[in-house]
Amino acid sequence: MSKEQALESAEHAGSGVRGAASPEATAERTITLELFRYHPETDSEPRFQSYEVPYNEDWVVLDAINWIKDHVDGTVTHRWSCRMGVCGSCGMMVNGEPVLTCAAFLKSYFPFAVRVEPLVNFPVERDLVVSMDGFMEKLEAVKPYMIRDDVNDTSGGEFRQSPAELAKYKQFSMCINCMLCYAACPVVGHEEEFLGPAALALGHRYNKDSRDQGFAERMDVMLSDEAMWGCTFVGECSVVCPKHVDPAGAIQQAKAMGAQEYFKRFVMPKGAGA
Amino acid sequence: MSQGGYRRPHRWAWWMERPGYMRFMIRELTSFFMAGYLVVFLVTLSKVGAGDAAFAEWVDALSGPGWVAAHVVALLAAVWHAVTFFGAVPQAMPIFLGERRLSAPIAMIVMGYGPWLTVSAVVVWWILR
Amino acid sequence: MSGSDGRGGGRRARHSGEAFWWALFSAGGVMAALFVPAFVVVTGFLLPAGDPSVAAARAEAFGQAVGCWPVKIALLGVIALSLFHCAHRIRHTLMDFGLRRYSGLLKVPCYGGALAASLWAAWVLWGIAP
Repeated sequence: MSKEQALESAEHAGSGVRGAASPEATAERTITLELFRYHPETDSEPRFQSYEVPYNEDWVVLDAINWIKDHVDGTVTHRWSCRMGVCGSCGMMVNGEPVLTCAAFLKSYFPFAVRVEPLVNFPVERDLVVSMDGFMEKLEAVKPYMIRDDVNDTSGGEFRQSPAELAKYKQFSMCINCMLCYAACPVVGHEEEFLGPAALALGHRYNKDSRDQGFAERMDVMLSDEAMWGCTFVGECSVVCPKHVDPAGAIQQAKAMGAQEYFKRFVMPKGAGA
Repeated sequence: MSQGGYRRPHRWAWWMERPGYMRFMIRELTSFFMAGYLVVFLVTLSKVGAGDAAFAEWVDALSGPGWVAAHVVALLAAVWHAVTFFGAVPQAMPIFLGERRLSAPIAMIVMGYGPWLTVSAVVVWWILR
Repeated sequence: MSGSDGRGGGRRARHSGEAFWWALFSAGGVMAALFVPAFVVVTGFLLPAGDPSVAAARAEAFGQAVGCWPVKIALLGVIALSLFHCAHRIRHTLMDFGLRRYSGLLKVPCYGGALAASLWAAWVLWGIAP
């Protein structure tokens, strides 16, 4: 195959992620994907299944999994949506590292095999899909919404905020709920009740919002043992976060605010309480 | 919380899985060595109160190779504790100047390395002067 | 293990003073970072080193320093907070190594040890003649 032909077929394959192309006919090189397989109705234990996928420099791991599902094995189950690092659906363990598979290029692994598993620290529902129930419940627990008595009262106009006030929480509002931080957090692995990085950072995001008045109410939840005090500041949540939210930093800041609140309540049990 | 699905076994050797976990463990282990040093430090202080002869005898014992090696380990642990603690300052204590956040190196120098060097210099100078 | 009711905001209601221990840990972390490296250099290397005349001068400077009351009080604060810093970190390290279910029980040796050593420090410092 000439260079032009190879390039053309690569482009063709790249644009045909959803099955329009048949790159297996033209691709010279392949890469092995080892997928974690678990179907609860037939498997009592998970297993790994290997697939040969045409190697394409422009492909990400998600493209390769989609190609397997479209061309080789339709029973492979995985979550994905936007393919551009915004929706937070396609987080998986790739060679042991929690990543968005839409942002993990095959060329960073080639020519070695790529092992894909569902995010660790979550129960597996099917193949690469984990259960999000516990995560959703933890997000809810920190009351991640504006709390104030006049929240629906617009008679005085909008609740204004200066750029300096916005800067205090903006970073923590960038979370896309991809759950990579939960897979990177050893405490989540040890302690199922631990609220975890994303939920605590989200709680902190509202506590730092100048328009919010729910600090005391939120702190009732965040001050409990398995909320922020479970965190030992390993810091890997911030390392794997694709949106640079820095949940580890948020939790340390929240601890300092929480300790102040704790002593305030100790001194003034009634006045400072929720 | 009851979630369905397959639960993978707990990973007991979790701290070996990522370099970041290893760094975390080394940071946490500094506390064991610092606690040990603080006890030795208290023994040294107690010898001051026990009189010149007892203090001289204890200091002489501290010059032995075993104690020197132990103090090398203690120093490494204490310095690593300080480096990691001050390294966390920009994350844990952000300082905003209007919309802009104080940069990490400056925050570490102002709230960490600067005071650390000053305190260390004063303590050491006091003994050497 | 934490007596959760499995739903909503009320599920994590267990408060057992972690905020208090964390505050001591945090303050002690600052103290340990600022002072302990210099203390190690002084008591581990500067006091035992040198010929006898130098050692005598350093021993005298050390005795003088720890004999005055402002230094004694500051030292007690630094030592006690550093001890509680170490105790908290040791406790959480043991929890991370698999003793999580004994998190409450571990408080006894960890914080109890730090308290005992702090009381010892107070007694020792009290006994040093100015």
